[in-house]
Amino acid sequence: MDWIRKISWAVLFLGVMIRSSSLAGAQEKVTLRFSDWHLTESPWDKTLADAMAIFEKRHPHIKVALEPVSYKDKETKYTVESAAGKAPDVFHVHAFSLPMFFDKGFAMDLTPFIEKEGGNKFLEAWYPLCIKLVMHKGKVHAMPGDYMSMVLVYNTELFKAAGLDPKKPPKTWEEFLEYNLKLTKAPEKWGFAVLGAKDPGFELRFSPFLWSFGGDYLTPDNKRSVLDSKEAREAFQYFIELYTKYKVMPPGVTSMNAQDVRTQLAHRKIAWEIGSGWTAPIVNAINPELKAFEVLDAAPLPVKKNRVTTIWLSSWIMSPHTKHPKEAWELLKFITSKEMELNWFVNNRVTSSRKDVNQEPQVQGDKFAKVIASQLLYGKVVPQIPQWPEIIDAFTTAVQEAFTEMKTPEKALADAHERINGILARRR
Amino acid sequence: MSRFRIKDQHMWAFFVLPGTLLLVLVLAFPASQSLLYSIYPEGGGSFFTLANYSTLWGDAVFRQVFGNTVLFVALSVGSHLLLGLGVALVLNQEIFAQPLFRLIALLPWVVPDVVAGIIWKWMFDPVYGAINDLLIKAGLIGTHVQWLANPRLTLLSVIFVNLWRGFPFVMLILLAGLQSIPRVLYEAAAIDGASRWELFLRITLPSLKKMLAVALALDIVWEVRRFGLIQAMTQGGPGNMTEVLSTYIYKQYFQFFRFEYASAVAVVMTIALLLVSLPYIWMISREE
Repeated sequence: MDWIRKISWAVLFLGVMIRSSSLAGAQEKVTLRFSDWHLTESPWDKTLADAMAIFEKRHPHIKVALEPVSYKDKETKYTVESAAGKAPDVFHVHAFSLPMFFDKGFAMDLTPFIEKEGGNKFLEAWYPLCIKLVMHKGKVHAMPGDYMSMVLVYNTELFKAAGLDPKKPPKTWEEFLEYNLKLTKAPEKWGFAVLGAKDPGFELRFSPFLWSFGGDYLTPDNKRSVLDSKEAREAFQYFIELYTKYKVMPPGVTSMNAQDVRTQLAHRKIAWEIGSGWTAPIVNAINPELKAFEVLDAAPLPVKKNRVTTIWLSSWIMSPHTKHPKEAWELLKFITSKEMELNWFVNNRVTSSRKDVNQEPQVQGDKFAKVIASQLLYGKVVPQIPQWPEIIDAFTTAVQEAFTEMKTPEKALADAHERINGILARRR
Repeated sequence: MSRFRIKDQHMWAFFVLPGTLLLVLVLAFPASQSLLYSIYPEGGGSFFTLANYSTLWGDAVFRQVFGNTVLFVALSVGSHLLLGLGVALVLNQEIFAQPLFRLIALLPWVVPDVVAGIIWKWMFDPVYGAINDLLIKAGLIGTHVQWLANPRLTLLSVIFVNLWRGFPFVMLILLAGLQSIPRVLYEAAAIDGASRWELFLRITLPSLKKMLAVALALDIVWEVRRFGLIQAMTQGGPGNMTEVLSTYIYKQYFQFFRFEYASAVAVVMTIALLLVSLPYIWMISREE
């Protein structure tokens, strides 16, 4: 009967094995919705898809469903979906949208997750300004992503063709104008272009002019407009006259978005623009024949009174309506990890909000990243208030009115000043 | 059981109920929500206020937007009617490859608004655009025209694209009207010596009166709501030159998060549309 006992034990053992393996297999597969505007942009789309494949391999019980959205429409999509309690589990926005999402309760408080990872020690990897910008009422409500400064990106070949030394980019805004006059060969080529459409990204390019001349949009307490200052008027006049008086920008600037400007840079229609880490890869994707990584170079923005540039910070939000917060945090942690942030840089040339990434040799040895990282010291952010989208719309309207000579620069700016004060007074 | 039996004359209620519920869900609910939002003060506070409406009338941008909308709709609808009638008259004739031309005339209407806007934005591009290239080659212009950046041309350029995009709808309605006019009327008038112009004035136009009214009312409603084309081409710029009510509401609601104010603008737009539609509704109900 010994054989019967042996068989019984074997059957029992097999049963336990099968049962335990089926229990493991029965672990519920979780699907996370992940949305990012980069999913619509080459070469970002491939980098993100590859990263998600790595994440899924490491977390077999999690599947990531990708939801592309255009850069322009992301706030609209996420706001509507958040209001309906149906936002993606993890989504990507730029920093100046954060106050709106925080204000409406559309971003989950990440503090409990961060505490489990080590609290302040865990956050030490990021630049303090980035952490400050993702805080709301003393709690972390988003994780910082890309962190870049705006710089001049220029075509060295067009510089040489105009008799300019590519190793000596302009140091002042006066020099910048002189260079532009030499680079402009209208109607074939122009010196500089900037997006003038009512598109996100305008303030990234315009604000350094305003700040460098010593002006600003609002008072430090964000209660009133200071666009009536002498410095603001000078900066505005200088910016508008690049188009209306000196004609160093191509026609149709008020309908140009960032991609239109990059297309002109890619096709040698303009010699430079204000861009950042993303510029060379995107220009290269538009026209590989240009050999953007070789031909383009970067330089700090010129100076008037202050050396200053705009800071670009993107952030990752976890929806407060997610049904899988634990898994969503794993995904958030993964995409903001040192490994992935370095991966974003290697593939897409965007510098990170993590200090430890920007110290890596790949970043330090890159000609674009070196300039961008050096300018983070002079970085400034636009006012982080919920009224900002309306304020910048009023301001862009004034820029367009002045560009198209519907109003004089003085009148357009004075009207914007008045309107912005009205916006601030309404919600005070 | 007999207590719960429904009399035959009440059965209609059961058939009407699903449709009615659906209408309430998709139409009445959002409409009433908008109305409610419009009487809430901005940023919360006590219920029922007309502050959003008084802000609206004091808002110089809103007044400009309202004026832009009236101009955009008047010129769009007027040009749709003229071109739609002209093309319908041509396509009503027995011409070579008539079905093919009818199909071609309908094509702009098939193209989605946003796609049409993006295509035309590229065509109007002052540096790369096909329009400037063609006109320069034809010797009609000497330099790059800024179709979408010149305040005198932008609204007209958008209306031109809207004419291309929207005339097939009017044409289709009028073509159906033209085909229902008995040929015998034209033959009798021709025997009496009526000229082609008199035939058009005395027979065609009076016979098309109802169809013209339908086309006019529906096209006005459509054009007031036109959004994708303008948003894709100009986003309301330069300045506020092409900002119309639909793009303004979108901006206030989805970009500035001013739900209450946006709802007030939407209510005003709905009232304006109802007023415009009244003659049409009256005409339909009189017929019934």
